[in-house]
This record gives sequence, structure tokens and C-alpha cells, in this order.
Amino acid sequence: MRRPSDRAAWAGIGTLVLLLVALPLAGLGWVPGTALPIYAINLIGQVMCLSLLAIAVDLIWGGAGVLSLGHGLFFAFGGYLCAMHLLRTAYAATHELPDFLQFMGHGGFPSWWRLADGAVTTTLAVLLLPALLAFVFGYVSFRSRVNGVYFSIITQALTYTAMLMMFRNDTGFGGNNGMTGFHAIAGLPAGGLPATVLLASLATAAVLLALVLGRAILASRFGRLLAAIRDDEPRLRFLGYDTLWIKLAAWCLSASIAAIAGALYVPQVGIINPSLLDPSLSLEVAIWVTVGGRGGLLGAVLGAALVNLLKFWLTAAAPALWPFVLSLLGLLVVLALPNGLLDLRNRSRDWIVDLARAPLPLLRRRTVR
Amino acid sequence: MLSRPVRGIFRVMRGVPLGLLVMQAVLAPACAAERERAAILAQLCAEDGKDVLNGLRDIAEEAPQDAAWGLRVVEAFSAKRLRCAADGGTFLVLPEAMLNARSLLPVQIDDTSLRAPLPSLRARVVLDQTAAALRLFVATRPQTRLDAVATLARHPETLPPGLLDAALVAERNPNVAAALRALAVKSGLHAPEPMRRLAAIASLAADATSGTITELSALRADPSYTADRSIAAALDAALSNARSQVRIGAGLSLLYNGISAGSVLFMSSVGLAIIFGLMGVINLAQGELIMIGAYTTFCVQGLLQALAPAWIDWYPVLAVPVVFVVTAMVGIGIEALVIRHLYRRPLMTLLATWSISLLLTNLVRVAFGTQNLQFLTPSYLTGGMHVIGDFLVTWNHLFAICAAVAAFIAAFALLRLTDLGLFIRAVTQNRAMAGCVGISTRRIDMLAFGFGAGLAGLGGLALSPIYNVNPTMGSGFIIDSFMVVVLGGVGSLAGTALASLGVGLVNVEFEPFYGAVAAKVIALLLIILIIQWRPEGLIAARGRR
Repeated sequence: MRRPSDRAAWAGIGTLVLLLVALPLAGLGWVPGTALPIYAINLIGQVMCLSLLAIAVDLIWGGAGVLSLGHGLFFAFGGYLCAMHLLRTAYAATHELPDFLQFMGHGGFPSWWRLADGAVTTTLAVLLLPALLAFVFGYVSFRSRVNGVYFSIITQALTYTAMLMMFRNDTGFGGNNGMTGFHAIAGLPAGGLPATVLLASLATAAVLLALVLGRAILASRFGRLLAAIRDDEPRLRFLGYDTLWIKLAAWCLSASIAAIAGALYVPQVGIINPSLLDPSLSLEVAIWVTVGGRGGLLGAVLGAALVNLLKFWLTAAAPALWPFVLSLLGLLVVLALPNGLLDLRNRSRDWIVDLARAPLPLLRRRTVR
Repeated sequence: MLSRPVRGIFRVMRGVPLGLLVMQAVLAPACAAERERAAILAQLCAEDGKDVLNGLRDIAEEAPQDAAWGLRVVEAFSAKRLRCAADGGTFLVLPEAMLNARSLLPVQIDDTSLRAPLPSLRARVVLDQTAAALRLFVATRPQTRLDAVATLARHPETLPPGLLDAALVAERNPNVAAALRALAVKSGLHAPEPMRRLAAIASLAADATSGTITELSALRADPSYTADRSIAAALDAALSNARSQVRIGAGLSLLYNGISAGSVLFMSSVGLAIIFGLMGVINLAQGELIMIGAYTTFCVQGLLQALAPAWIDWYPVLAVPVVFVVTAMVGIGIEALVIRHLYRRPLMTLLATWSISLLLTNLVRVAFGTQNLQFLTPSYLTGGMHVIGDFLVTWNHLFAICAAVAAFIAAFALLRLTDLGLFIRAVTQNRAMAGCVGISTRRIDMLAFGFGAGLAGLGGLALSPIYNVNPTMGSGFIIDSFMVVVLGGVGSLAGTALASLGVGLVNVEFEPFYGAVAAKVIALLLIILIIQWRPEGLIAARGRR
């Protein structure tokens, strides 16, 4: 497997550390003359969350060769759990029921929402519940050796079904409109500068942590087993390994990471609705990872950051253009640069010449995973 | 009931111009009819209003036998053009000619000395009714007969007993016949004689809808109506009969809707299944090919409207080859430009085809706009056939079912009977070996992809009378199609058909109880469960991949 060289990895990690230090300093204006606008801090935070989601997808796709087209499910699961906690704390402060509960004719929160009262229980829930869902689904799928395209499609169907469920008002999570009206985040007023800086820093720290730990995992014996599953799962089985549990462990870890990303994302955008469960988000994540380059986690961060910054800029500048750009970007990357941007350095120096000659023969020359 | 030859005469009468009918009326009358006419005309000329009414009633009762003559007389009477002579002669003074009322032959008389009888107010109502009854037998336009039925339905209690039966025997138009039957039942329900009521209740229950149940329940709750024990009992029996019919109809219509949903699914997933079996590639743009098929149908419709408006009703048929060729070309383009290069990386084809689907959706959005397309519905696709209870076989759904059956047969024939099909099966089973014996696997891939895309396009055509056609319609059933392919087994036509029917039925059967979303959830859970039991799908294709 080709991972980004250590130099690239250190560069990436160094950038993230710098960002982590710079965010509170510049954001809170502690260093004079460097005050970042709150919009930019929020943007960085969002991009970091999406990068974390991309890391989750890359861990299981680049690591074990399992493409999930349904990570939006775990992302949204974490997001909904976090939103529940925020609504409960808002209710404790203001005693005002959220609109969607009033609309459905409830006098108060359903009693089991109390589980989302404490920050600790909520964090545990974010870490465990999506992983549990992933475990059940992964167990039944991997056990019957559903893999490859089959598995991807079923994850997408699962996410789609969840979206349909969440769109209904009766499901009890705000239906189409979603949940909004968060009052405070960790005691800081929502939408204010301190909360924004805190969330962005948390997201950056999470990405940094996931990147370092994830790379350590991929480099460990467990990571080598995952790589072996990716390259030839039947052979590993013949060698006596029970690949089911290895895959399941990576799959659940990936779901947990995606859920954390969702839990950090929702307070930053201030709303959660079923659009996060749209299969196209989950597919887009796979495109980000492909753009950056699979297998080393750094590519995932790079791809997610680049594509999303482009998206933020284009949807503001020329909204009608974005779907075309995204689709052409996807086609271009898949056809001409299947191992992502990080692979550019490994390609022969005359890749520009190759590209100019004809984009398509370019692929046949290199072995691709 | 009338005897066969008489029925034959009525069949002849319809469609014969009025003049000929008059001739017939002149030449045919036997002595008996001649005497009847004389008696009726004498009654109409009578001074006593009762006699006039009786005369009209007689005309109505004689209507099946002598309708053309009766109508002439009644129309003349209500237009005050009937003249009575003191010696018993009667004449019609029409603007163009004077006729002998008995024979309708032209005569020359001085009409100043003749009495013109005026119909009374009561007689006017009866006149209208009688004219309507006569028109049932004489009028050549179905709409006129329908109007006549509506006029008669205003006073169903005054109808002479045999009239509607006779009219039904002669009636050839199904709409008018249905209206007549409904009227017969209505007049029977409120007839004074219990026997006729019982007969009407029985015939109402014989062909019941949920409307019938409401009607019968209302009668059952009316104490004056059910004073007669036998009627109450008949109502109870009829109600239970009607309920069971409606229940059967509801079951059948669920089945029918399930089958039609399954057909739609089959059309959308058969191409997917063939391609997946052959190349191990899932085409996420399959839904967009369906969308393009629907849009091509729309363009064909627009072209016909502009160039050959006479053919517009047949656009769904004329569009078939166009749609197939257009979508097949798009599919071949996708295969040649993109998928061919991703041959060893099936996961990447997901991303590539998704990008294509996004591109196609947005291209169509820019070209046509986001609104739903308005399709003309040809006359033969509107409405349906009533079977039992509330179960209606609607033509547009039947069209989709027939299209799916045709697609199944076409795909089956292609795979089993042609060289191309043989090669496709060979490549599906063992690509390397097929290549070794000289099959150009690349060419087969391309053609099979084109064929699958063409089928998807035809799916779009078949959906266009049922679904909303807009640029994003493809994403609506793409997931269902995948579930079908996963469930049915890779590359198996029979498995795809079976799985489409299954998923379609599950979706439709559960929808009324738990809602559309729960039906989808149940379908998905069932699929995951079935995959536990048969990971290769219901019918696994043989082969090595």
C-alpha cells in the first residue's frame, strides 16, 4: 500500500497543530491585529468536522477496502444525539419547549430524552450507540460475506431508509424541519465568539487525534491485517484469521469517529435535519477521500478540506455551477487521478505531459488499487 | 325480454337514418300496430287530460315496437303541431309538410278547421319522459341516449316496467348500457311492488362497490322501507354480499397495485441486473437513464404535436424505438467514456456513475427546468375496467405491467435466443475463458450496457403516465432498484422479476397499515434477512467472478 510519506504526514500534522494553537489566539483576539472574523472560524470548524468524517470513511475504505456509502447515517446519528442534549440544556435554561414538540402536541419532552441531559451520558451515547448500530448491521452483513459493491449499496439503502424515517414528523425528531434553537454550548451562548472558537478548536483537535491514532492503528499489526483483508480477504481466511471480527472492529471504530464528527458539526451549523442522511452526502464523502487519496488518512483531510472550501466558495459565488463542478471533479479524479492528489508526487515528473497527451491512457500505465 | 328477431330489428334500426326509419314505420306496420296507433292518437286528441296521459303512457309502453313513429308524434305534440279533425283524423303540421299522423304519409288538407290540443302541465312532464324513453331506441348519438337516461332518472318511478330491459337489449354502447342498468336498479329499488324491489336489491348486490354499501345501509336504516320482512332480510343478505365483494376487490386491487409497482421496479432494475451480472458494475446513473427515457418520450410527444397532430394519441407507441435508441446511445457513451476504464475497480465505478447521474440531472434541469412535465394522456390509457368491489383495472397501470412483461420477454429472448445473448451469458459466467474462445468481451460489455440502458429508458416511457417526471425523478427509485438486484441475485432475469414483484408487493401491502416509509423499512429489513439466508440472492447466477 502506498501511504503518504512520513514527511507529508508530519507536514499535515504540523499544520493542524499550528491551526489548533492559532485558533484561540487569533480567534479571541489575544494577539493584537490577528482577529479572525467569526465566519472564518466557524468555516474552519465545519471543514474540520467534515474532514473527520472523511477520516472515518478512509479508515474503513483505504484501510480495509470496504466502501461505505452510508457514513452519513452515523454522522447524523451523532448529530441528532448532540442536538437532543443541546435542546435539553436549552429547555433547562428557558423552559420553552422546542417548536417541533409543540407542533406535534406534546406537553413536554418524552421521558427518555432525559438520558441526553448530562454531557457525560451524551458523550458516551455518541461514542457507543452509532457503533452499536454499526455492529449489528456490520455483523449481519460481514457474516454472510456481503462485500464490495453489494455492501456499499446496502449501506446506501440503510441511510436512505433512515432519511425517509427522519423526514416523518411522527418519528419525533422534528421531521423535515429538523431540530434547531440551541441556546448554549458548554455554558457559552450559542453562536457567540467563545463558543465558535471552542467548537472549532475541539474539531481541529479531534481531527488531529484521529489522524495520529488512526495512522498508528493502520501501521500496527491490526492495520496490516486490515490491509491484508483489503488486498485478498479469502487468502487471509485460509490462513486462519477470522476476518469478520477484524473488519467489524474497524467498521465500528469508523462509525464512532463519524458520530463524533456529527456531534461536533451540529452545534456549529446550529441545526440538524434529515438532509444529512441524503445518500448524496455519503457519496460526496467518498469523492473527497478519492480527491485527497485513500489509505493514509491525510489524503482524506486534504480532500475534504479542499472540496469543501471550493464548495463554500462556489455555492456563494455561482450556485448553479456547483453540481457541474462536483460531478466533473468526481469523474476527473476517478478517471485520471485514482490515487488522489497526494499521489501526484509519486507520479513521474512528466505527468503534465502525460495528461496533455491523453487523460485516459494515463490510467492504464500505472497500477491502481 | 324480447325474442331474437325483434332484437335483430333494433340492431338494424340503430344507425339507420331517420328517413329510412320512417319508411320502415310506414311499410312495416301490421294491422295490430295500425290499430294501436289509431287508439293512441284518439287518446291524445281526447278532451279529457287523463286520456292524454294514458295515451302517452301507451306510447311509452309501445316504445320498443314503434319508437320512431312515437317520437315523431310526441315531438309534434309537445311543439303544438298535432292537429285533430272532428272525424277522428289526426295530422302533424310540420313546417316542411303535412303528414297523416297514423301513417306519416304526406297529405293535403286545410288545417284551419282542425283542433290543436294543448298539453297540460302534468302532461308536459310525461311528454318529456316519453320523448326520452323513445329516444333510447331512436337516437343514433350515444350522448343523446345518455341525456335521455338522465331525463328518465328524474322520475324513475314512472318508468314502464319492460322499457329499460328492452332498451338494454338493443343498447350497444357500454357507457349508455351502464347508465341504463344503474337506472333500472334505481327504479326497481323504489318500485311499489316488493318483487321488483327484491330484484333490484339483488342486482345491486351482484355488482357492489363501497357506494353500494352506503346506499344499502341507508335503506336498511329506513324503517318504512324495511317494514316488509322479506325486504329487510334481502337487504341484510345483500349487505353482507356487498361487503365480501368489496373486501375481495380491496384485496385484488392491493395485489394489482403491488404487481404494477413491481413492474415499474422490474423495468428500472432489469438493465441494472444484467450489467451487474456481466461486469460486476453498479450503474448509479440508471435512474437518470430512466429519467432520460421519460424526457425523450416527452420530446417525441412534442414533435408529434408540432408535425403530425393526427398521430398524437399514439405517441407512447411511436416513442418506443426512439426512446430505446436514445437511451441505449447514452448508455454506450457512458460505458465507452467512463466505465470501460474502471473495469478493475468496481468501487470506483460507483463514484464515477454517481458523478454522471449528478451531471445528467443538472443538464436536464438546465435544459428543461425543474417543474414536472405535463404529458397528454391518450384516450386508451384513461379510465379502466371495473371488476369487483372497488377494484378497477386502470389502463395506465396495465400499460406499465404490459411494458414490463414485454421487457421481460425481450430480455429473455435476447439472452437465450441470439448470439449476443449467448456471448453475454458466456462473459457473465467466465470472462477470461470467454475471451480465450474469441469473444470480444469489450464489445459485449458495450452492447450489453447499451441494451440495459435502453431497457431503463423504456422503463421511463412506461412510467410517464403514472409518475411525476422531473429531473430528480431518477433518485426516487434507484435505491429500490438496487434492493431488487441484491435480493434477486446477480445477473438473473428470473430473480430480478421475482424480487421486483416481491419488493413491489411488500411496499404496497404494508403501505396502508404502516405508511410508505415503514413499508420501505420493512422491505429493507426483509432483504437484509433474506441475504443472511441466501447471500447470493434468491436466484444465484452460475459463474465465477
